[in-house]
Amino acid sequence: MSDVRYYDIRRVRGEVTRIDIDNGVVESAATSFFDRTVIRALASNGWGILTRDHVDLDSKHEIETLVREAARLAAVTKDRLDLADAPRGALPIPPLGEDPREIDIEEKTRLLAEIEGAARLPGVTNTRANYTEGIDSVRFLDSEGNEYSYQSVRSGFSVVAIASRNGVMQMGSEREHTIRGFNLRGRHDLGRRAGEVAVSLLDAKIPKGGMQRAVLDPELAGVFTHEAVGHASEGDLVREGASVLGGRIGEHIGCDGLVIVDDPALHEFGFMPVDAEGVAVQRTEIIRDGILASYLHNRETLAAVGDGMPGHARAEHGAPPIVRMSNTFIENGDATREEILAECREGILLIGSRGGQVDPGRGVFQFNAEYGYLIEGGETTGMLRDVSLSGEILRTLHNITLIGDDRRMNPGYCGKGGQVVPVSDGAPHLLLEDATIGGRGE
Amino acid sequence: MNGEDLIEMVLREGERLADEVEVFSARGQSVSTEIKRGIIGVAEESEAWSMAIRTVRNGRIGFSSTGDPDRWRDCLDAALASGRLATPQRWEGFPGPAAFSGVPSSADRGLEVAIEDAARMVDDLLAGAAEHPVDVIGGSADLGRSHLSIANSNGVSYEMERTVVGVSLETIREQSTGYEFDASPFRRDIDARAVGERAAMLAARSLGGRDIETGRYDIVLSPVAAASLLGQVLVPALSGRNVKAGRSPLADRVGEQVFDGSLSVYDDPFAPGPGSTAWDAEGVPTRRLLFIEQGVVRGFAYDLKTGYRYGEESTGSAVRGGNEPPAIGVHNLFINGAREKEPGYGRAVWIHDVVGAHTANPFSGDFSVEVSNPFWMEDGELIEPIRAAMLSGNVFEMLGEIVGFGNDARRVGRLTIPSIRLNNQQIIGK
Repeated sequence: MSDVRYYDIRRVRGEVTRIDIDNGVVESAATSFFDRTVIRALASNGWGILTRDHVDLDSKHEIETLVREAARLAAVTKDRLDLADAPRGALPIPPLGEDPREIDIEEKTRLLAEIEGAARLPGVTNTRANYTEGIDSVRFLDSEGNEYSYQSVRSGFSVVAIASRNGVMQMGSEREHTIRGFNLRGRHDLGRRAGEVAVSLLDAKIPKGGMQRAVLDPELAGVFTHEAVGHASEGDLVREGASVLGGRIGEHIGCDGLVIVDDPALHEFGFMPVDAEGVAVQRTEIIRDGILASYLHNRETLAAVGDGMPGHARAEHGAPPIVRMSNTFIENGDATREEILAECREGILLIGSRGGQVDPGRGVFQFNAEYGYLIEGGETTGMLRDVSLSGEILRTLHNITLIGDDRRMNPGYCGKGGQVVPVSDGAPHLLLEDATIGGRGE
Repeated sequence: MNGEDLIEMVLREGERLADEVEVFSARGQSVSTEIKRGIIGVAEESEAWSMAIRTVRNGRIGFSSTGDPDRWRDCLDAALASGRLATPQRWEGFPGPAAFSGVPSSADRGLEVAIEDAARMVDDLLAGAAEHPVDVIGGSADLGRSHLSIANSNGVSYEMERTVVGVSLETIREQSTGYEFDASPFRRDIDARAVGERAAMLAARSLGGRDIETGRYDIVLSPVAAASLLGQVLVPALSGRNVKAGRSPLADRVGEQVFDGSLSVYDDPFAPGPGSTAWDAEGVPTRRLLFIEQGVVRGFAYDLKTGYRYGEESTGSAVRGGNEPPAIGVHNLFINGAREKEPGYGRAVWIHDVVGAHTANPFSGDFSVEVSNPFWMEDGELIEPIRAAMLSGNVFEMLGEIVGFGNDARRVGRLTIPSIRLNNQQIIGK
């Protein structure tokens, strides 16, 4: 293997348990098993990557054969890439409260059914709840002699209620996912809230589209952080020329006092003890006091682009590592929610998230709130549904005029390049000038 | 052991412990080349095997899957355990062997899954993109072949081959981006050079767009934009499970003229395409299925579980994704209708794609999305780019107000759809 400059092997074995309850019926409550290994090799130019089922990492012969095959694949690549040196080391895994592996699936199903049942309020015509538990046993080794292994346990649930009346259908949903242990006990409140939101949305109005002042709640402001800043700061997009933030390190791209961070070491849902290339994880300040300070990197994008921190390589099991966010957030400012609403005077308050998307090259993003309220004279009034917001990365961050003091993190999943990984994002309440609100209300 | 012997053993062992058992197995190989900095930067090859087991005992359906043949016993035990938790329901058995009603077109027999061919397709993508002054910021070419089989304790044992050839390219010029793609079971269908040229044209011609005022405009949704919105809203509304669970606004409207009289929507599992198959994911023979005929709702899609529960017949509409239990889906969904005139007649806003289609409300049909590569169109020609805008509307209402369809139907995932002309739609400028 003399022509192989570098290789690494990452094996993830594990189990996924899913419970699906639909209108009180246990549709399925099942555990499945996987065991996938990704072998990457660098020869003269770019990566050769193999994916295989259940590889024996203790067989030297098997590893040599696979690395040679990966190197043979790499022969068609032309883009020469190098790997930057990066700090090593793995963090301890935070302790689990109650270990979900020690609770039988009957009990999980019963507790989930209680949450689902709590959503069934008058006016609600359909309720559905899902529980997901993933146990990953990760083992990594590379040609530089690094080796580590760890086990991660993630679990959580979502509950959705649909209310309908005279052909109008609206939905409310709540979710909670965690790395801190079993979380199905005593959560009827979330089921009930999903039901209440669905019912009250039946009387909500569609917003009037156009430029308005907007207040984002911490959950939606977190999604805003993720879509508007996080993706465009990913080093692979910067390297490919696919991000509007490329070449802008040191530029004032946001308001004074704005600090945006990605921190995989934080004990939130996007936590990882070490990244998918065996690199130590650390807090990375993407924006510091309104100035673009760092990109998020893996070893290859750090070598190619510079200006940032490594330790942001992540991979779904059976897929090669790419640059990803983990726990992304805006640091607290000093405004209270009341001050923000009062300062807004006339506008719209957006609450919760139905997801978002970004075109980082064009610098345009869109995201959707679960619901909202009109703000009139600094007070919230009529309820609004199907509120979405779009904006341009390089303009919007200057339009943040107040930053709240009440940051909250919310768990979720993020998709990129066909891979889905657990993340969290968060922010305090934000006041945004000149937000483009979608809607066809009058 | 991961071939027929293993499947036979799971069936025999499963039958001892449950009333019925089913084994779905897939093995496949794929190669992929990925573009980095305008040239090939990554070459990948993947081999995968998986097995999914379902057991039924007293109307309780159990499920598990594994990617490790050595864990077949754990997998069978997990399926049986899962069945003990499932709510019992009316169940009249897995299907027995039956005649198929058509011949699928799902595999390119001659397709060679070779990294060198994927590399050649990348060369073609790049040659196409070179026709316009843009930079390439990403893209890939993939080739894959998989072998699927299903067997159950009622004597069903079917096998099929599936192939897939896919290309995509992303380009940029200043802050103007373009993305195009194509996929088919058949190598001959894929013109990588043309895909590359279109991706580059979109970025090159979208440069320097002017603002648009908020207001009502006549629009043309390209097949890509139309597929994004309809895939999020219309497709779930056709699922029998959503219909019976009160999640589809079409539930009580069978036989009614709900949509424009020109609109037809049907699933054709025998048409060439990524979902082409003669049997569905639980071994039920597939058939051509009409959902909407000239605007009238005709019926919905069912699998065995939902069918038995509500006294409906399975329509052969079960599909599988990943290692999950089978669920109701579509094989090759066609959306089309009368093409009365060129959909870009007069002056209209043409929209290539949308950002954030997955945030549309699938129950109400309401959406507000950012548009990608919008242009002023005059008599079918792209005249001038528009800088940025949002489009707000309601998918169900839009389908009642269709003005015309284009002559340009294309495949987007499992949907085949032409461009759609709609008048008087809400656009929000910025």
